[in-house]
Amino acid sequence: MTRSRNFAGYAEVAIILIAFALLWFAPLVVGDYWQQLGFRTLIYLTLAEGWNLMAGSAGLVSLGTSCFVGLGAYVAFGLLNGMGFPLPLTLGASAAAGAALAVLVSPALFRLRGLYFTVGTLALAELLRLIMVNVSAFGGASGIFLQNDPPALPVLFHYALGVALVASLAITACTRTRASVIFRAVRDDEDAAAQMGVRPFRVKLAAFAIASALAGMAGAVQGVKLGAIEPYGMFGLQWSIDTLTMVIIGGVGLRLGPLVGAVFLIALGEILADYPAAHIAIAGVILIVLIRFAPRGAVGFFGSMEQARRGRAAA
Amino acid sequence: MPDVTVASSTIASGVLLGGMLGLTALGLSIILGVMRLVNLAHGEFLLVGAYCGLFLVQLSGVDPLIGLPVVAIIVAGLAIPLYRLLLQPLANRGAEAQMMTMFAVSIILQNAFVLFFSADTRSIPERFAATPLTVGPVTVPLMYLIGFAISVAAILAVHWLVSRTGFGRDLRASAADPAAATTLGVDVRRVQMLTFALGAACAGVGGVLIGAGFQFGPSSGASYLLNSLAIVVLGGLGNVLGTLVGGVVLGALQSLGGLTLGDGYRDVVGMALFLAVLAFRPGGVLGGARG
Amino acid sequence: MSLSGAPLLEASGLVKRYGGLVAIDHVDLTLASGTITGVIGPNGAGKSTLIGLIGGALAASQGSIRLEGRDVSRLAASERARAGIGRTYQIPRPFLDMSVEENLEVAQYSIAPFQSAASARREREALLERTGLADAAHLSAHALPLLRRKRLEVARALALKPKVVLLDEVGAGLVDSEITELIALIKSILDSKTAIVIVEHVIRVVRECCARSLVLNFGRMLVEGPTADILANDEVAAVYLGTHGAREKTPSRIPVSEEDLRATSEGTDAQRHLAPLIAPQETRSPAPALECRGVEAGYGQARVLKGVDLVVKEGEAVAILGANGAGKTTFARVITGALVPTAGSVHIGGRDVAGLPAHRIAGLGVTHCMEGRRIIPTLSVEENLRVAARGVDGSTARERLDAAYALFPVLAERRNSPGTSMSGGQQQMLAIARALMARPRLVIFDEISLGLAPVVMDKLYETLALLRQAGMTLVIIEQDVDRALALADQAYVLEHGAFSLSGKAADIAADPRLRHIYIGAEE
Repeated sequence: MTRSRNFAGYAEVAIILIAFALLWFAPLVVGDYWQQLGFRTLIYLTLAEGWNLMAGSAGLVSLGTSCFVGLGAYVAFGLLNGMGFPLPLTLGASAAAGAALAVLVSPALFRLRGLYFTVGTLALAELLRLIMVNVSAFGGASGIFLQNDPPALPVLFHYALGVALVASLAITACTRTRASVIFRAVRDDEDAAAQMGVRPFRVKLAAFAIASALAGMAGAVQGVKLGAIEPYGMFGLQWSIDTLTMVIIGGVGLRLGPLVGAVFLIALGEILADYPAAHIAIAGVILIVLIRFAPRGAVGFFGSMEQARRGRAAA
Repeated sequence: MPDVTVASSTIASGVLLGGMLGLTALGLSIILGVMRLVNLAHGEFLLVGAYCGLFLVQLSGVDPLIGLPVVAIIVAGLAIPLYRLLLQPLANRGAEAQMMTMFAVSIILQNAFVLFFSADTRSIPERFAATPLTVGPVTVPLMYLIGFAISVAAILAVHWLVSRTGFGRDLRASAADPAAATTLGVDVRRVQMLTFALGAACAGVGGVLIGAGFQFGPSSGASYLLNSLAIVVLGGLGNVLGTLVGGVVLGALQSLGGLTLGDGYRDVVGMALFLAVLAFRPGGVLGGARG
Repeated sequence: MSLSGAPLLEASGLVKRYGGLVAIDHVDLTLASGTITGVIGPNGAGKSTLIGLIGGALAASQGSIRLEGRDVSRLAASERARAGIGRTYQIPRPFLDMSVEENLEVAQYSIAPFQSAASARREREALLERTGLADAAHLSAHALPLLRRKRLEVARALALKPKVVLLDEVGAGLVDSEITELIALIKSILDSKTAIVIVEHVIRVVRECCARSLVLNFGRMLVEGPTADILANDEVAAVYLGTHGAREKTPSRIPVSEEDLRATSEGTDAQRHLAPLIAPQETRSPAPALECRGVEAGYGQARVLKGVDLVVKEGEAVAILGANGAGKTTFARVITGALVPTAGSVHIGGRDVAGLPAHRIAGLGVTHCMEGRRIIPTLSVEENLRVAARGVDGSTARERLDAAYALFPVLAERRNSPGTSMSGGQQQMLAIARALMARPRLVIFDEISLGLAPVVMDKLYETLALLRQAGMTLVIIEQDVDRALALADQAYVLEHGAFSLSGKAADIAADPRLRHIYIGAEE
């Protein structure tokens, strides 16, 4: 199993690099509409990968994604406007800010187990949003503008690609190396893991910090694309809701879950573009059905069907 | 420094509002206590009540306060099939499956509201909504006082139900030790279903009262969910009267925060307090009924 | 003592309190490297608590633990594991979603994250060889049967390169041949630098592996010394089989209040009082009160009951005995509907109860005075009683309440206090009264003697005798063999998931095989 895990790891890295390399050339071949769609999918993929690491590998269900998306966006704007940082460095700073906030709140947040943790993340996200609305130094309710014009769409697409690449490689590092057994031990049975010498707090913190850093970067790129950010949009609960929905639909804890979920949600949004309220409602219905009948999400469901088919074929 | 009249009126209004928030929080509290379920659709249940009240007024012209029992029955009536179809089948799967299902229900409801009632914010027209009541230096909207009175009455009624009736005994037994309760002959599933309905009704009734005094819209649910959570944590899980105390405390503190820091900070105070209490005493400041 | 003279592990004055309950009461334990020490004692004595305290899963209320001279008392479980204390669990909990190999990797990579993959693999292969799991390296832990899961737990603990290995009831649920394999495994993992502690109910394991043992009772150490002496000790036998002997030799260390002593009412008065609480004779059917055929049941992988047959006639008192882990409480749970059997049938009063939810079975007149009492802490004494009287009008409920209070006057005095605010003996009285409030035809008394002083148990058993005289059908599940056999008509002894002995209570009491089943004195 270990040998095959390593092999799978190398194969995965290769596939990811090839896929992203191909996508790099997308702006040359497709028009604006597809680049926009691609951009959104890549941002969502980044968020979903991070969330999946927290929930699937460390057992932490978070409703606080919006907190870190918003933080990343505001930090980015602060650095771009105030200090004229180049964009790549700014993205790194947004990631660092996300990780730093995670580290800061973790002692209090990790005291809460299970449901209370989820509720705590929700409260944190709301708190941050309310603060941003009220503190005028951060632009208050009307937000802030990017002083320079945002880069062109293909450039933004490449940045989104870069961020998603970082996310994918980070997750591969966590799930295909020896680190993965440590993560999964904490998810499966925290107390037994402790008895094996694992320090659950540090493991959970690592997952939380990585997910938060990724969310920060995603928020930064998203903000730059918009050119102007305000609290309701960047700290809005929609980020948390969409992220959770995506991963559950795709399949929590499964490597392809985030990708399938992100593509599904974006596609659903496009198909129902004329009925904006309906597309989230339908996602909700799908969630309920999946939780009941296919708790491992779409990937898990089709995966087990495939196994069953192979089982029958072999018999 | 704001003058005494404004300050005392604001705080008094906050306290009265807190009573109404306490009633809604009660709904969340009993569901959490008996079913170990954080009802993430709680805010939306509150809105269902508010929209029902609105609808009742528009259709029949009946004063929403008179229509409260009807709203309670409607919301409870919606909650029961929800429990049987969606929650009961997941009863053995652990708390998260049920919580995620209620999360999905909440997003469906939010969008249903937009679909049927549009995204506009509105409030329930109520005769007393704008009438002020002045006692000495304190001026509050009459609606708040009426809402507070009704809320206190409802909370006391639930308290009586939980502490003095057979159903209340069954409820407390199911909350404390469901396995032992079943062996004693308590139909725990049925108790959970009725508790869920009662909790939803509390949220719905609170929704009418709050909706008569404030604007609400399809996405207002989340902030009421968090307010209720804060109150539950403040007042102690499982402590019915504690939610009244918690609500009043939160309401007062929110008003104070708004007075001293600025109006936008009302909710910030609530959230910060909630996180602080959660971090240091997840069992609640007043202590839960679980000793 | 080891060569250097210093003990490997030294625990002194360990105390563990849970509120008012003292689970471990000033226990000292010294381990020398190269030794295997046994810890035995009846259910509830505190054996698993002791393991939890040494392993770090529980924090001691008082006392200290030193590993090789270093104070580890304040360290969390993960740090103690890294320092060299490994443990296994009573019910194995391997990481089910991971393979056998990955389970070992968790331990390996937490203590040495950067070791080379090749050396880690070599170590793993060696460990799996030693523990007999070499062929299962890639299997998911989920797919392993019970004995192999126990082997996996041992392997996983060994992957920590521990100095002290704590084995918590590894023998439970295994058949004889598997126990032989287990004993061989334990002996093979001992070396001159490690110490092993075995907490056990299966006395054979202790006898064959441990040079020295200690006996825990009510959280205190009763006696310590060479294993052979311990097992031949009459006091130890009394602790397991019954308190007749102990009552004379060892004064009760549990403070007994005046209240407890006068707690039950006496004689024919009581017979009259009991009438509202016992299902009247006319409603009883000619069918047996309880009939079980071929019942099999278990939890997940562990099969506990492997074919149980039992017939209890109306008005009979039946004792169900057996060593801990034999399946007595599992059996009670099957009868009351809390656990669904995987095979076999259960008939109550002639009626097949398959598929009935537990609360409906309670409605059929079968009540369970549960192990550990399970008093609802958020209800008062009176409310605990009223909850059990279901579907009756106010005056009938009042009548039954009065009968319960007449039976146990102390409950009347405390009627409005929270149910768990009373002493252990009083809570047991409440549990018994609660079981009667439903006016049952059959009551299962599940380990009511647990944690109670002999004097209090006398009083409770007098009450049971009254019930029996009044015609109630009783099923008494007990560790205290002497008392149960004195009261019952018929007795059944559970061993390895089935009844190995059954017959008239008097015959069973005289049967020498009984002592063997509990403490394996014979070979």
